[in-house]
Amino acid sequence: MNEIEELFLEMKDTSELMIDLAYSALLYNSREIAEEVFNLEEMIDELNTNIQKKSVASAVNDGNVEKALVMLRLANCIESIADGAMEIADVVLRDIEPHPILKMSVMESDTIIARVAVDEKSVLTDKTLGETKLTSKTGMWVIAIRREKSWFFGPDENTVLKKGDIIFARGPKEGEEGLIKIASGRKRRI
Amino acid sequence: MPAADGKTGGNMKKRKRFEEIGYEPTNVKELLTEMKDVSELITDLAYSAVIFDIKDIAEEVKELESRMDKLLYQIRLTAMLATRTVEDAEQFSGLLQVASAAENISNAAGDIIRLLDTKIENRPFLPSLLQKADEKIRIISVPEKSPMSDKTIGELNVEAETGVRIIAIRKGERWMYDPADSTILSGGDMLIVRGVDDGYIRLKGFAEGKRGLNNE
Repeated sequence: MNEIEELFLEMKDTSELMIDLAYSALLYNSREIAEEVFNLEEMIDELNTNIQKKSVASAVNDGNVEKALVMLRLANCIESIADGAMEIADVVLRDIEPHPILKMSVMESDTIIARVAVDEKSVLTDKTLGETKLTSKTGMWVIAIRREKSWFFGPDENTVLKKGDIIFARGPKEGEEGLIKIASGRKRRI
Repeated sequence: MPAADGKTGGNMKKRKRFEEIGYEPTNVKELLTEMKDVSELITDLAYSAVIFDIKDIAEEVKELESRMDKLLYQIRLTAMLATRTVEDAEQFSGLLQVASAAENISNAAGDIIRLLDTKIENRPFLPSLLQKADEKIRIISVPEKSPMSDKTIGELNVEAETGVRIIAIRKGERWMYDPADSTILSGGDMLIVRGVDDGYIRLKGFAEGKRGLNNE
């Protein structure tokens, strides 16, 4: 994978994580999650600047202006998506409690966000996210983990789950129950 | 609900007034829920259109984009009508900010499909650019004879069983976007799906009759 592809992938994945986190922040009225959306925005800006430099450099090298333009435009689109996530998170950072309808909308949409605690008895305890295959087994994609006072945002397949962790996961309504059963230890096999 | 006789008329009136006040926010909720759903679908569709160079999907993105304009307008009107106090106004301003963010996201998706206006030789990197993401967008072709045939998406519980979401289906010449649980899958369908690797492998294997949907 070349460098510019990697930059785009990171930008796209980050923008999608930001959207999921922004809706989670709304649902749970969490300033901490909302603030992470703003932190990630800084990363997006940096990635965008890097892509801009690489695009210009590539046009200088091969003289293909159109190709460079496609790269610049795509990066701008992803940046706008990330900005949308920020606008959503911003509502949580005001000193006014978000309208209750916001919570209801997030709960009733096609894609919901679940919050579950990992029990000591759970098969998830002390396993990496990759090992658990949680997403392909429940449909739920883990976007954040809270361990006591600390947060892991956008965990990857190597992130180890511990008892007491609070998992925030995005997925279909039908996936929530399965996730709860597995995390609570009521279902021993994934 | 008509009153059965004159005596209950007074009660009915009271209840009706209560329902009327409750009606507006319910409406705002439905509008906002749809806006959230569309903003998520439209980005997946925009990336799909660009990855696979499919003009039909790009057209759907344009339609969803104008649908979002209408939804934003409606939610603004409804929120204004439902505002009674300063507190209402403060809370609705946050709500409308979320609605407008969802609309901005849709506009960004609309801009993504405009990349298709560029000559294909100037965007050879687009498919691979987006193909290594955490959750990939891919195609599954359902063979003529498939265990998936004649089953509904809800019956198979596809997304919860595999972590893979079907975002569009081509049936013959026709496209269906964001198919419902009641959508029947058939042999010959082409599915555009989004999700994790192992779930994709399982769903594809199942479509091809090589394995069950939820066993290892």
